[in-house]
Amino acid sequence: MSAGLRAGVLPGLALALVAGVVGAQVAAGGGDFAPLRPADACADRAVTSQADGIEGLTEQLVLRGIDDAACTLDVSREALTLELAQQEEPTDAQVDAVRDGLRAAVGELADEDALPPSSSLVDEALEGSDLNRFVKGAIRLVPDSVVDDALPTEDVLTRAVDELDVRAVLSDLDDAEALNEAVQDAVTQAVRDELTDRVRNLV
Amino acid sequence: MGLLLTVTVGLVLADSAIVTLALPEMLEQLDASVTEVAWVLISYNLVLGVLAVPAALRPLRVRPRILAAAGIAVFAGASAWCAAAPTIEVLIAARCLQAVGGAFALVGALELLVARSGERRGVAAWVTAGVVGTAAGPVAGGLLTEAISWQAIFIAQVPFAALAVPAALAVRTRHQGQAVPEPAVSHRPVIGHNVTLALLSAALTAALFLLVLLLVEGWRHSPATAALTVSVIPVAALAAQPLARLLRTTPDLELAAGCVLVAGGLVGLALPPSADLWWTVAPQALVGLGLGLSVDELTHRAMEDRLPRARHAAWTISARHLGVVVGLAVLTPVFTADLLDAEEPATEAIAALVLDAPLQPDDKISVARALGSHLTDQRGQVPELDGAFAELDVRAEDEAAVADLERGLDDQLDRSVSLAFRDSYLVGAGLAALALLSVGLTAAAGAARRSRARRSLV
Repeated sequence: MSAGLRAGVLPGLALALVAGVVGAQVAAGGGDFAPLRPADACADRAVTSQADGIEGLTEQLVLRGIDDAACTLDVSREALTLELAQQEEPTDAQVDAVRDGLRAAVGELADEDALPPSSSLVDEALEGSDLNRFVKGAIRLVPDSVVDDALPTEDVLTRAVDELDVRAVLSDLDDAEALNEAVQDAVTQAVRDELTDRVRNLV
Repeated sequence: MGLLLTVTVGLVLADSAIVTLALPEMLEQLDASVTEVAWVLISYNLVLGVLAVPAALRPLRVRPRILAAAGIAVFAGASAWCAAAPTIEVLIAARCLQAVGGAFALVGALELLVARSGERRGVAAWVTAGVVGTAAGPVAGGLLTEAISWQAIFIAQVPFAALAVPAALAVRTRHQGQAVPEPAVSHRPVIGHNVTLALLSAALTAALFLLVLLLVEGWRHSPATAALTVSVIPVAALAAQPLARLLRTTPDLELAAGCVLVAGGLVGLALPPSADLWWTVAPQALVGLGLGLSVDELTHRAMEDRLPRARHAAWTISARHLGVVVGLAVLTPVFTADLLDAEEPATEAIAALVLDAPLQPDDKISVARALGSHLTDQRGQVPELDGAFAELDVRAEDEAAVADLERGLDDQLDRSVSLAFRDSYLVGAGLAALALLSVGLTAAAGAARRSRARRSLV
């Protein structure tokens, strides 16, 4: 090997080693090892819940509602969640966006035919109610099909959202359980109110 | 005797980065801020860099045995003071004094090693001890911190230095008992090689300082694990010389290869595909090989045929340690700013995973509450999430999903921190690329000078 060629071996080896190592790192995803980027809040997102009944429904409504609110406010779902959790008081725009988001979430679930029949919510609603036992018994005697026909779930949930004190709920996010309870209570209350109205009308 | 002096040279230069892995423990025990703790590192390098050349002035250098013994004694005493420092201010003051002793010890030890082993072998031992000390410092510091405490780093140095004092006094020189005569000529320092050395040292700071911070503070490994991981660099640095002898090339090309390897290794460290420690091994090997090929060659060439030898050696010390200070000054603001910027995307990624976690709503709320208070408590640092999960009481059916969520959140933290370090590594790679440019310019200037000399002869 000539002296010139021999002299080039070490720099050539250095370049080859660098290309090999950096190439292997990049091929294995080295350039993409970055934190998850928040998805576009306006894009469709599959929302599921591990819970059944009112609790599961509530979770789906909250997750979809926050998504819609974030889309309205032009921020990510995660940024809105963190903002709401860190602020003392929500802004008017946030309150309005969350209320509209919850309403839209009810509509989306209805459009997807994903709302449970209202009869499936009745037992849970009655469980925590302070109705007298005769009214409770009368309601339980009503066949599910009658309840479902009389009480469209979408109407019940829309009433629940309208009656929900969104500002109070968002102000109390430090106590995360309070959020869940407040939304659940509103749903339960709405189911209960609709049912008692109908039963009293019947009686 | 020669071995003790060589070890002392290695210790003085290892101290440049030996405390890197101990910084988190110092921060906690001495109740210091990050900036104050960074000064434990900066102060030593700054004082050593500034004092090295004055320490080699003729009046001090004429009696190298006294110079070396006094320097080593001050270094030993200051090391003991560092170990006993009750506050960060005292520790920084002790580190400054340690560097003062170190500067005199380095200059004196070079003269004694040459007197004992001859010019070539003495200089080679001094240079090699410096390279090995620099590369092995963080490893030794990390192991001692993990096994005992950060104070052990300094205590361990005292006996070696204490034994080196009589060893220095016992070295027989040709001018036994008399002043070393000043050489008839006095060469100017080689600016090109010293600038390259400074740039490369600044770049190596990214590997020696940032990597251990990434491993301990970012990826949350123990100092011992981090120390073992970064031991790749000194091992590879030791392998560089046999490789260079095998593939004999010109000194300029060897330096260029070294700079390319350091720059490439830092790019590799900037692009890890995961937080698995194995992904740091190959880039570190590149950095270690580059360090082994370039730093001792540059030091040799900056001192080669230059008189007085000690002053030119001092210029190399000055270039290296001021390079480290420049590296810290450039890289620290970049990575601290990037680390702060990483907080928001990391928190959002955590929020996304929690919102989408396949958990019962009440368990999801429990996780969110625990994480919320935990992250608030640890704001300003990379959080440890296992504490939040340890306090959780979730239903049995959700335990597997919670464990998956914890792994997912840890992965998001690893990703955020790794991304935050990326720019600093790339800046380090840029400094190594500047060192490569400096090698090229120095080589071109040398070629032009030789050509002019040939023409004038003709």
